[in-house]
Amino acid sequence: MSTGEALARAAQATQVEIPQEARDKARELGWEDGLIELALSKGHSLQVIWQALRAGVDGERAKEFLQGGQAAIPRDLSWMNVPTEWGIRARPKDPAMGLTIADLMIGTYGDVPDVWTNRSEIARGSYPNPIVEDMGYTIFEKALVWADCCVPLYEEAIRDRWVSATDLNWNSLEPLPHDLERAVCQFMTEQSERAYFTGALWSGWLPEISYGFLELKLFLSTIIYDLARHSEAFRKRALANGGGLGLQAPTDFSRVAKEARSFPELAAILFVQDSMLYTLFSQGDRFAQNELERDLYRFVARDRKRMLDYHIERMKHMLFKLPDRRDEQNLYFNKAESRMGKDWVDPAVSEPLAILLGGGVANIDEGRRQLRELRQLQVDNYLADLRKATFERKHINGRLEQAARA
Amino acid sequence: MAANPTTESGLDLSWLDLYEDATSAEPGKKGLTLKEINLGRYADSARGAGDMTYRMRGAIPRPGAQRFGPNYQSKADVWAENCLMLYEEATQRQWSSARDIPWDTLEPLPDELERAMCQLATMLTEVEFIAGDVPGQWMPFVSAQDFEAGLFLMTQIMDEARHTDVFRKRALANGGGLLAQGAGLGLRTLIEARDFTEMSVLMHVQAEGFVQSMFRMGELIGQTEADKRIFRMSAQDESRHLAFGVMHLKYVLDTEPERREEIHHYLDKAEGDAAGGGSGDVTFPPVFEALCILLGGGVDKFDEGLQKFLLLRKRQINEYVHRLTVAGLGDRRQRLGPLMAQFLDPA
Ligand SMILES: [Fe+2]
Ligand SMILES: [Fe+2]
Repeated sequence: MSTGEALARAAQATQVEIPQEARDKARELGWEDGLIELALSKGHSLQVIWQALRAGVDGERAKEFLQGGQAAIPRDLSWMNVPTEWGIRARPKDPAMGLTIADLMIGTYGDVPDVWTNRSEIARGSYPNPIVEDMGYTIFEKALVWADCCVPLYEEAIRDRWVSATDLNWNSLEPLPHDLERAVCQFMTEQSERAYFTGALWSGWLPEISYGFLELKLFLSTIIYDLARHSEAFRKRALANGGGLGLQAPTDFSRVAKEARSFPELAAILFVQDSMLYTLFSQGDRFAQNELERDLYRFVARDRKRMLDYHIERMKHMLFKLPDRRDEQNLYFNKAESRMGKDWVDPAVSEPLAILLGGGVANIDEGRRQLRELRQLQVDNYLADLRKATFERKHINGRLEQAARA
Repeated sequence: MAANPTTESGLDLSWLDLYEDATSAEPGKKGLTLKEINLGRYADSARGAGDMTYRMRGAIPRPGAQRFGPNYQSKADVWAENCLMLYEEATQRQWSSARDIPWDTLEPLPDELERAMCQLATMLTEVEFIAGDVPGQWMPFVSAQDFEAGLFLMTQIMDEARHTDVFRKRALANGGGLLAQGAGLGLRTLIEARDFTEMSVLMHVQAEGFVQSMFRMGELIGQTEADKRIFRMSAQDESRHLAFGVMHLKYVLDTEPERREEIHHYLDKAEGDAAGGGSGDVTFPPVFEALCILLGGGVDKFDEGLQKFLLLRKRQINEYVHRLTVAGLGDRRQRLGPLMAQFLDPA
């Protein structure tokens, strides 16, 4: 006995409860009263009746089917001929990378619209259903979020992923002097929290972005995943070598990011942090105390480079498309720099780095000198990154300037 | 405590000796995983009260820390006992839709089969898209006291991105394209959830459960090696998302049994709202027809396909009720709507 027959027999044996949704639908389609019961009594299963209702079989057709004793199951198949672009055969351009999302940017499927108008859940390039609910997306403007590089960077992020549990040599750790271990742990505590926070923050913005910018959302998902791994890797290091978690991170910078009222503001504020942190981790060899930390910082810097590339290109693209929003960006940079300056002078931020750079509390003068050098490099690179984005920042915030020299 | 050398060097060092115990987690067989560092006062079992900052569990509170807005204050709101393990498994089992699918084995299919596969892929790339948005929506509310649950959700966001892209790739890789939007798939309920547990039971347990039951029939649905592998690899990821949802629900029911009736209400709504199909509804006509064609092996074998489709539905419903039973919500069996109840095997 087939499943269909079994269901139909079960329907006959027990008094099948007819769902209200089915009755409403039947009334809408002009089914006579009692037609559902008749169909059931003739041995059609509730599911098959339901499919007929969902397919929009009207009362007339349903009656004909039932009188003829045929299955009421319609084969509409109109979806087979919807006017989407057909005949697409995407092929890998670079066999080493495999079939990438860049390879899918062909024909109309590669059109990323300047303004996306569909408010529903829909795959870009599929045939829209005329009656659909608004899903509540709020971002429909390409200029605000888009950067072409998110397409290749998505696949690069996947290619370059690493696993903290097994790609770092945890057995290589050796005890460090007390001041150095505590400094490492304080740095890790701060960075673990910052990564977790930033991952949560980006995550919260995902439901705002409409399907028109699919590739961007895919890329942001890799950013979020990277930040999760950074957060746990830093925590693992803090708990692996005789130290522990120290004082929670200062909250000024993170708060200003949390306060962003729009995606462009968020991205401008995180531009500041992501540029600074890329420089910091790319200089990790200078403050790493062992091989494991060097490896960790290199992995993190490689991931952070992708985030930075996105920021630079998005900013450049937006300023090109929306030139009247150029000066506004100074407002976001200014407050982000100011709060970052506050974080930088916090003793729990500056002292661990100075101790690590100098090689211990005893060498603190050398450590401070090196930290000033590093801070200056961060600021210089940040301004250079802004220039790459075609943004000339004439004066950075005074608080940050002072913090860099402290 | 070490002598405070502040006076000579001008250092503050107030952060340096805030704790006295030394922690040295040792790597285990799978390296240094979250399990190995879940120890002493850093363990989830030692979770203290939360605050509204992003202070990670075990870090020392900073005087003057600013709040970041409300988040869940009690562990049961977001926790699942398996989230540490699931996080590490996710990091180990990431795969690449670009390189781990044998795209070069795709061969031209009869037009109706290619169209059916493309219709299914269109529906799935749509469904997988919201499966990333939904955990994203809740991340800001997961306390850093329960950060492992947050880490897990961030791996899910990555997994769903991969699923979104792999089904788009499939639709565009074999001479086809995207077809009709899958309207009315019951996806709104997922983003409408106003509580983490509501979201989790609707998305992780119900919607992803239904999708998983379908992926597990991928050997019958897929027409090519590449198709079958896509379903297998995706099913591997979905089993983690499901496992989180089932264990979260279990944790809630174990620790807050008074929430049982409330959870039934969410399911009443979701089972009814999606026209009886639940979230990720496969009874939407284009999806239903595409599945019948794929399962039968052609339009002319539609009726055979229909029998297998009914089998798929049966499997979806029975596995759904089984998962709820494992989580401690076995009494759902008595409350299923008729469109689901028709498929239910006797207990
Ligand atoms: Fe998925
Ligand atoms: Fe999933």
